[in-house]
Amino acid sequence: MNKTLSLVRRCLLMAAVAAMVSPGAAGAANPEAGSKGRRPNIIILLGDDLGFSDMGAFGGEIKTPNLDALAADGVRFTQFYTHASCSPTRSMLLSGVDTHRNGLGNMSEWTAPNQMGKPGYEGNLSRSVATLPQLLKDSGYHTYMVGKWHMGKAPDLIPAARGFERDFSLLDGAGSYWDMLNFTANTPVSLYTEDGRYLTKLPKNYYATETYTDKMISFIEANRGDGKPFFAYVAHQAPHDPYHLPRGERNGYVGQYDKGWDAVRAERLQRQKEMGIMPKDATLAERMWFVPDPTLLAPAASAMLGRKMELYAGMVENMDRHIGRLVNYLKKIGEYENTIFITFGDNGAEGTDLFEMIAGTPGTKNYLYASIAWSQNHINSWGDPHSYVGYGPMWAQVSMTPFSQYKGYFAEGGIRNALIVSGPIVKRAKGSINTAGYAHVADIMPTLLEVAGARYPETINGAKAPPLIGKSWVNMLAGKEDTPRSSKDYTAWEVFGNRAVRQGDWKIRWQYKPYGTETWELFNLAQDVAEHHDLAATQPEKVKELVALWDEYAKENNVILPNRVMAEGMVRKMPERFPVEAGFPPLMTSKQFVPPADMMADPKP
Amino acid sequence: MKTMNTTLRCSLALVALAAFCPMLALAQAPPRFYWKSLAGANAVPVIYQDISGNSNPLDPAHVVSPEANIDAEVVTVGVAKMLPLFDRTATIALLETMGRMSSTIEAGGKTASESARGYGDPMLEFGINLVGPSAIMGIPDMMRYEPKFSLDLIADVFFPVGEYDSERALNIGQNRWYGRVGAPVVWQLGAWVPGQRTTLETVPSLWLFDDNTDYLGETLSTDPMFQLESHLTRDLAVTHWASLDATWMTGGASTVGDGEEGDATDTLGLGFTLGYQVNDNLAFTFGYMSTVNDSDPGDLQMDGFRVSLTYGWHKVIEGSKRLSEGH
Repeated sequence: MNKTLSLVRRCLLMAAVAAMVSPGAAGAANPEAGSKGRRPNIIILLGDDLGFSDMGAFGGEIKTPNLDALAADGVRFTQFYTHASCSPTRSMLLSGVDTHRNGLGNMSEWTAPNQMGKPGYEGNLSRSVATLPQLLKDSGYHTYMVGKWHMGKAPDLIPAARGFERDFSLLDGAGSYWDMLNFTANTPVSLYTEDGRYLTKLPKNYYATETYTDKMISFIEANRGDGKPFFAYVAHQAPHDPYHLPRGERNGYVGQYDKGWDAVRAERLQRQKEMGIMPKDATLAERMWFVPDPTLLAPAASAMLGRKMELYAGMVENMDRHIGRLVNYLKKIGEYENTIFITFGDNGAEGTDLFEMIAGTPGTKNYLYASIAWSQNHINSWGDPHSYVGYGPMWAQVSMTPFSQYKGYFAEGGIRNALIVSGPIVKRAKGSINTAGYAHVADIMPTLLEVAGARYPETINGAKAPPLIGKSWVNMLAGKEDTPRSSKDYTAWEVFGNRAVRQGDWKIRWQYKPYGTETWELFNLAQDVAEHHDLAATQPEKVKELVALWDEYAKENNVILPNRVMAEGMVRKMPERFPVEAGFPPLMTSKQFVPPADMMADPKP
Repeated sequence: MKTMNTTLRCSLALVALAAFCPMLALAQAPPRFYWKSLAGANAVPVIYQDISGNSNPLDPAHVVSPEANIDAEVVTVGVAKMLPLFDRTATIALLETMGRMSSTIEAGGKTASESARGYGDPMLEFGINLVGPSAIMGIPDMMRYEPKFSLDLIADVFFPVGEYDSERALNIGQNRWYGRVGAPVVWQLGAWVPGQRTTLETVPSLWLFDDNTDYLGETLSTDPMFQLESHLTRDLAVTHWASLDATWMTGGASTVGDGEEGDATDTLGLGFTLGYQVNDNLAFTFGYMSTVNDSDPGDLQMDGFRVSLTYGWHKVIEGSKRLSEGH
């Protein structure tokens, strides 16, 4: 942190000098960029619930040629952390401040009674933090956003009020890709803004991923040639459920997933090992205890469940295609070489059945609403307006190969994601994989401020600005260091009452049952990336050491553990947890015994 | 798993829908007949038709008797099965028609009447898909079935074993071999989602007739006849559908003995069908069709009501139902 802060201070100083020389461009000049030409453009490509292993460049079988091309032109990171759910991640991305200080101490949808009204738990990106787009705009960047916001709906909280000069944004956390339909009876309409105005309707021929891309291209095009760099935040809704997809793009993977999730996970891990994404001795996390062994399913069930993954794969491929359109546009206008791309998913893949959670109880208002608005549930209508498909925990585990668990939880599958960085600040070998870079989403703010020569303010609205928790990647991307964190640095997370701390190769996590044990579990990620072995019992001193860090973190960041959580009652609702072991019980898995042919005989008369 | 049940129900519905259901005289195959189903699926149709006109409705040659008024009440029952053949869906069906007909002829101030009853000529149909989805070998294939553009080849043969009296002009049986070859086409228009499905089906076919060497003591010969049927069908709801039906026939001039060759037919019929999937196994249809270019006395004039019930089943699906019902 000291090194980063000194860099920021140096930039601050340089910016102040530049401001004195050229008052009209306060804080605008990056010293290095200024001497060599224009500062780089910046594009953040965010996939919503995109899994660690979904992209081809991370071992996925899904066709993502455009994302793979960015990886081939840049560097991949395999130890990049987000938060366990979306708006907390987004809030740290755009503020660089811990969630418990930036307003997303809990998601607005799950704010607990004891958190209500408390600073840091507003459920939106607090006005008490500075935002990356605002600071970049102040430093002379154009700032554009398209896609999902999910950090506040009030006029002073929408993208235009938080630093985006142009935007086309979905304010909600999810919704239809085809229209303004949302999920609950109380909030049936998704809210959108365009350039700070709430939309009364969507453009003609709207399809989220396509429209977002069109809008972003139009924003860039509108100001092209004025000499100013741009910051573009492309927060795709895809591939978040519901899996809405144009009809012509639904059948690219038909039958490919009938083999089942275990087989696809094994294939992905094998490719990850061959590519160097995962170490050769990496193993798959155990299948979630309530997910069936796919080899025991009837073909119809395999096909039905496989269809969900087919659509998800189509969603990812579709998103990749539109990202390719944006990249090609930049190449066409000659801006590609001067553009930094930062690509990742906002949290683990989604394994929870959101639709069931909202509308699964007959007799409720939401059930009635869903029966009207979201009941196109025939398999052939999946992807159409009014259909709702999510792929479930089994495929979420595939997306998070080889990790354990998924979105919402603090096993690696909930918080570790694929990261690609490319562009002029990357000096590492093109196409290389950095497996040592322990990086965090909050690092992006200091990194980009440094790149842009922008400054982080000391005060905001008269109050002291909350500290940035991230570490700049500039040296790491330049190949001067492998990781922005020392062995003493640590990161910590908390949401929904679940929590975790990582320092070096060690990690502790505390989670509600049944996903956790409601005690601190300890893992060595260097030796056990799939978190098979809880070492808490054998290494109590390490647990104690990390719990002390947790206590420090909780105190510094005013962590208020929620008194009501999503997990309550879950133990009763879910199957009892037993270990999952391949081949058990043999009653179900053993094959037909075939006697030697020469011992076969017809019955005697 | 709710979705799974929905899909299974859909599969069952298709089993039932795919049953054979010929509309005598004016249309040979009902709407949705050439949709495909699970290999091994079976169907038993029972079709009641009430037909009136100036020609024997059971004789596809449609020899017109301008002064005649022929009424027929007939029932067709049969069995159909879908089979895989060279990875294509094949259909084999056997149908038998039975019932009563009566005719009244008024000419020169005199009235003559005739009637016939009994069993008609059984028909064997064989069809195989040439272009379109491969044979549907399991529920996964059934789930993924969409006709998109499908082209079949069919051959129908009627066996001359139905009741026939050479002293009468009006008979249930036709006393000759006849049949047709055709190339049914199904075009899927839009989504293949129950409640939203739309198809345009056309069946061009060529009828061929052997001679009836004992037709009132003479030989009845009929030229080949071309027939084009079309059905534009659309789901009204998940279990309800409707179609606009049309059929056009041309050719098929008949000659009796050494007399002059009769007129070739050039007939257009229009009608509609309403369909209802009663449950997983049972489908119901009601339809009406009438000739429309029939103002001249020598034109074929015919109309008919049709009600059908078709029961379909497949052993896998029936077994699943037994298990789910706890039997």
